[in-house]
Amino acid sequence: MKILSITTATNHLSVALNDGDKIWEKNEEDHRNHSEHLDPLINELLKENDLTLKDIDRFAVAEGPGSYTGLRIGITTAKMFTSILNKDLVGVSTLAALANGASDGLIVSELDARNKNFFAGVYRKADGKLENLVPDGHYYLDDLMNKVKDLGLSEQVIFVGSPIEKYQDEIKDLLGSDNFTQDAGDNQIHAGEIGKLALDKEAVDPDKMVPKYLRRTQAEMDWHNKTGKAFGPDSDYVEEV
Amino acid sequence: MTKKDVRILAFESSCDETSTAVIKNGREIESLIVATQIKSHQRFGGVVPEVASRHHIEVITQITKEALDEANATWDDIDAIAVTYGPGLVGALLIGVSAAKATSMATGIPLIGVDHIMGHIMAAQLKDEIEYPALALQVSGGHTEIVLMKDPIHFEIVGDTRDDAAGEAYDKIGRVLGVNYPAGKTIDEWAHKGKDTFHFPRAMMEDDDYDFSFSGLKSAFINTCHHADQIHEELDKYDLAASFQASVVDVLSHKTIRAIKEYKPKTFILGGGVAANHGLRDRLAEEIEKLHADIKPKVILPDLKLCGDNAAMIGAAAYNLYQAGKFSDVNLNADPSLELPYAESMLK
Ligand SMILES: [Zn+2]
Repeated sequence: MKILSITTATNHLSVALNDGDKIWEKNEEDHRNHSEHLDPLINELLKENDLTLKDIDRFAVAEGPGSYTGLRIGITTAKMFTSILNKDLVGVSTLAALANGASDGLIVSELDARNKNFFAGVYRKADGKLENLVPDGHYYLDDLMNKVKDLGLSEQVIFVGSPIEKYQDEIKDLLGSDNFTQDAGDNQIHAGEIGKLALDKEAVDPDKMVPKYLRRTQAEMDWHNKTGKAFGPDSDYVEEV
Repeated sequence: MTKKDVRILAFESSCDETSTAVIKNGREIESLIVATQIKSHQRFGGVVPEVASRHHIEVITQITKEALDEANATWDDIDAIAVTYGPGLVGALLIGVSAAKATSMATGIPLIGVDHIMGHIMAAQLKDEIEYPALALQVSGGHTEIVLMKDPIHFEIVGDTRDDAAGEAYDKIGRVLGVNYPAGKTIDEWAHKGKDTFHFPRAMMEDDDYDFSFSGLKSAFINTCHHADQIHEELDKYDLAASFQASVVDVLSHKTIRAIKEYKPKTFILGGGVAANHGLRDRLAEEIEKLHADIKPKVILPDLKLCGDNAAMIGAAAYNLYQAGKFSDVNLNADPSLELPYAESMLK
């Protein structure tokens, strides 16, 4: 099965073709938005492998968390490909893909959302298998570390994703241990890992896929706090006229 | 031999409407789908960009299929994919741009990036044939411009707003009057029930350029309301609306008529969201009717449902670009501050 994978969740743009055990991957450090570079990169990858989009069986995309605008570029692209070409669409957690690229062990997969806020999940990776221990969410550093501590494990904790250097002392205090480290790899999300995780996942309806932001917008929270009203389903707010 | 029809599938997502359409030969609407988010943004009293982007991605694949279905078309019938790539909210624009590029890649159909303002002006093409040179008054929440066109793809802005756009002023005074966003339609209705009793300023009306300024009017309006509040005086909201609208319409029509006299266009076009304003439509039609037959242009006021943001107007503008061979690549990016393609000066 040929899987084409995309991540635009962070500054690191990555696309990959997974076919059996073989992976062809292209990466680009791209500090503006990915709109300009994603499609040309996909075209390059296809061309080098003598393929067209029609030859792809399944499209996989990092579904979040991550940069809101970034996520939407990749997901919109994957939604349109699969909707038009009638192919499988699979969403893969950005944090699971990040963890899957790290060393084996207990992994805190995290993206720094500033002010000691993190998009994070805790995973265990062993023998090529990934298990989720703490669900992906938006956490304060102390919450997140408490959840890790509650797992009651004695092994080394591996952080993968954003650099944790500046939180070193706090993490040590919160965990009550200095048995933790940043992953030795490049700490980036690789589309090839998305492709691996996409193999066993069930395909979803392209019309229904939206990013997993894991966080409401500030405007919505303010409205909710001010009015006390509950959030309706998103479809309540959009109507065809 | 009959010339082959050209069908364009267009995307528009620059603000709070997600829209798709199939347009035949730049003139005929075969389908038009508009998913509006007004209900969502009414919670916040105005468009919240991040919320707008979130809604766009929810509906984009669905409304693409609907546009094809309603036109009874398949991808084989489509000759180009068009998309608004600016100006607008960057996150919102990116949904349409990403979708259009992916569509072009998946189908092999060529891509055309379209300027949103060019689209608003070309809504006129869906109503009647535009004869060139043409002159447009383009009025919306973000723009107030007088635009000269020597042909369907070359534009020159001869007048622009120095501060607030007219539509923006409507929304701001709407807030003072407690009118829910978007305020334009309600203010227009109230204005018809009141009289111009406040005589707000007509900024720059007698200047000899074609530029506009609406911030002075907005301040005068707000000061009048605040002052009344302080002395516990109740002002008539219909008269307030009528006075505000009279000032806006006076300035817009005065400058437009002067521009028509100077540039002598064959067609006059009103475009943009504020083109739905009845006070403005009636006044411009009336003033142009009074002109001498030698310089009286044909007037095209777009259909009310095509004044707001929609993909049909983008498909109409894209047809002109298609005919001129102006295509885009898959590295097309959203440009939130895109400006109309500038023509060689027609000002002599
Ligand atoms: Zn508009």
